[in-house]
Amino acid sequence: MRIAVCLKYVPDPSTIEVDPLTGLIDAGRVLYMMNPADESALELALRLRPSNGTVTVFSVGPVEADRLLQDALAAGADAALRVWDDSLGSLKPIVTTMLLAAALRVKELPDLVLCGGHSVDRGSGTVPALLAEHLDWPVATDVTQFELRSGRMRVQRRLARGARAESEVTLPAILGLESGLVHLRQASLPNLMRVKHTPIPLYGLEELGLSPQDLHFPAMTLHEVMPPRPRTRVMFTPDIHGSVQERVAQIMSAGVAGKTGKILESGTPEQQADAIIAFLRQRGFLEQPT
Amino acid sequence: MTTHPANQQFDVIVVGAGPAGSAAALLAARAGLKVLLLERGEYPGAKNASGAVFYGSAILNELIPNWWEQAPVERHICRRDIAFMSPTTAVALDFRSAGVGFATAPYNGFTVLRPKFDRWLAAQAEAAGAFVLTSAVVDDVLREKGHIVGVRVRREQGEIYGKVVIACDGVNSFLAKKAGLQREFHPHELSLGVKEVIGLDPAIIQDRFHLTDNDGIAFEYLGAITEDVHGGAFLYTNRDSLSLGVIGQVSSLVERRKRPYELLERFKAHPAVAPLVRGGKLREYSAHLIPESGWAMKPKLYTDGMLVAGDAAGFCLAAGLYLEGMNYAMQSGLAAAETAIFACQKNNFSARVLAAYQKNLKQRHVSTDFRAYRHAPSFVNGPRLQNLYPEMVARGMEQIFRVDGTPKRKILPLTYRMVRQSTIKPGQLLRDVYQVARAYLW
Repeated sequence: MRIAVCLKYVPDPSTIEVDPLTGLIDAGRVLYMMNPADESALELALRLRPSNGTVTVFSVGPVEADRLLQDALAAGADAALRVWDDSLGSLKPIVTTMLLAAALRVKELPDLVLCGGHSVDRGSGTVPALLAEHLDWPVATDVTQFELRSGRMRVQRRLARGARAESEVTLPAILGLESGLVHLRQASLPNLMRVKHTPIPLYGLEELGLSPQDLHFPAMTLHEVMPPRPRTRVMFTPDIHGSVQERVAQIMSAGVAGKTGKILESGTPEQQADAIIAFLRQRGFLEQPT
Repeated sequence: MTTHPANQQFDVIVVGAGPAGSAAALLAARAGLKVLLLERGEYPGAKNASGAVFYGSAILNELIPNWWEQAPVERHICRRDIAFMSPTTAVALDFRSAGVGFATAPYNGFTVLRPKFDRWLAAQAEAAGAFVLTSAVVDDVLREKGHIVGVRVRREQGEIYGKVVIACDGVNSFLAKKAGLQREFHPHELSLGVKEVIGLDPAIIQDRFHLTDNDGIAFEYLGAITEDVHGGAFLYTNRDSLSLGVIGQVSSLVERRKRPYELLERFKAHPAVAPLVRGGKLREYSAHLIPESGWAMKPKLYTDGMLVAGDAAGFCLAAGLYLEGMNYAMQSGLAAAETAIFACQKNNFSARVLAAYQKNLKQRHVSTDFRAYRHAPSFVNGPRLQNLYPEMVARGMEQIFRVDGTPKRKILPLTYRMVRQSTIKPGQLLRDVYQVARAYLW
């Protein structure tokens, strides 16, 4: 059984300092690490690996990401591969997954791909699904447990409000794992020393058979960075037209009124839309017209 | 000596990538030895903390010419202040030099931020050929027939062998104790330093401290700032931040039931300090033990197969006028590396050959300096010189300058009255004057 694990090189949140004036991160002080969810995926892959199986680790990132792939090798991964091209800058998940899919195809496609479900930096949580799209494979996301049963993967998925779902996927498949399921094992000293200077194979766009045009998607451009501001909110004031009892009741409830719905039955669609907009404005969800 | 697999056998194993360890690894690697530098932190410098003014510029310049051009230094120190404080007053002695060596290369000292600086220094050792391994906690020494032949790292198959082990694992050196070279310290021999790094705009720092460009200042404070805890305080300028902290003797912190961070808060609120830190933003907080007793806590520095350097050997000169550690750490690390190189040439790693370390330390002025100031620490770090006299100076100046309609007193009767009012006996005062003279004058 061949297992692939995708690792992301992310900033360590404990080293991040935000300049309070500009809201930008002080890049000089940031240290990088293996994304925690990916780390847990790697450990699960190593535990799952049968005696004749292999675990290969992949990462899309600059040369500094070699350190994290070396750490994965020290922990017991069999091979590592890094994808990067100097023309690549900050990557969108769609591009990252195209590169990963191409890298997975370099050698024989694996039977199982494990990904951390969310990264600590962007955390869009889209990589497993997008990767599945590129490979046309089944995917299970938010996975908390999995078990291999006669060639099929039985997975437990986390749903909202503590609910769990059990489902089965056929291999080859992609699993997006929750973070913090297990801790990565500690590498032995000889392994740690062996990988220190192990070169990591690097695949650029050319080696992957991609051209810059393939990766061209309408670019997101950063226009302005502003410190976060709380949303403006309409302050509660009791309705002066009501009786004394009503006003006291309103004040005592501190403006927390039970949710009251209103069903718009009459009027044209335009009138109903206007009524909804007016309602949202009144509640402070929409800005007042200037 | 038993042979071990080649990848687990080194000539020199240096434990701890601080200034001592990295300097030792750098020099030994340059001599063509197979060097392993072990560091417990995630990267060299991750766990290291100090003031931090590095007064070893000239020493490092011999190893790496014009090192300050490539290293992450903050400001070079060409202004030094010593301030005597009472709770509301400060009297300062201000030294400023644009002279050779202070404002010009190789400079006298630099403020540094240890995580950055130590990381850079270890990278220099790595570039010279040393094998740097991080996240490697050393638990014990390995012995064969009484000789130390390596160390055990807290990992699976963690045994690693080296002909010489250089212990640079800092104050409270675990290795020196495991090797039976060092005893447990007494609380009165150690000080606890707590430090904050406070971010401030470079332009504000220049204005506020009357500095131009990359000039920097080192303030040291004595007196009532630590209340009745024996200790002092410091404030140094970095490029866009200030490093400031309070140092208190561990035994008196315990006796007086004082928490170090309370002292730090009080220090920051002192009228002479508050305007200097105003508007700053706290960036880092750290604390570290300081071996302050110098000569008295020096361990046996070598045994069969092992040398001790840096803070592990107590090479931190905390003697009033001098607050230096990193330069002596580096010097002792270099002396240890020279000894290891010598032992490798002789192919003999017994204590008899490693005894050359003492001679090398003398040549690098480490042991001579510590011997010369051996009387200073116990006395300087005592309550009268660190707290009482500085406070009296500050109070005395307050009385001299005060104009409130009462008759002016001359200095001698004023001093006499202050001594009478304090707990000091005249005999004690004379003895202290003699002690100061013995500590610094001859």
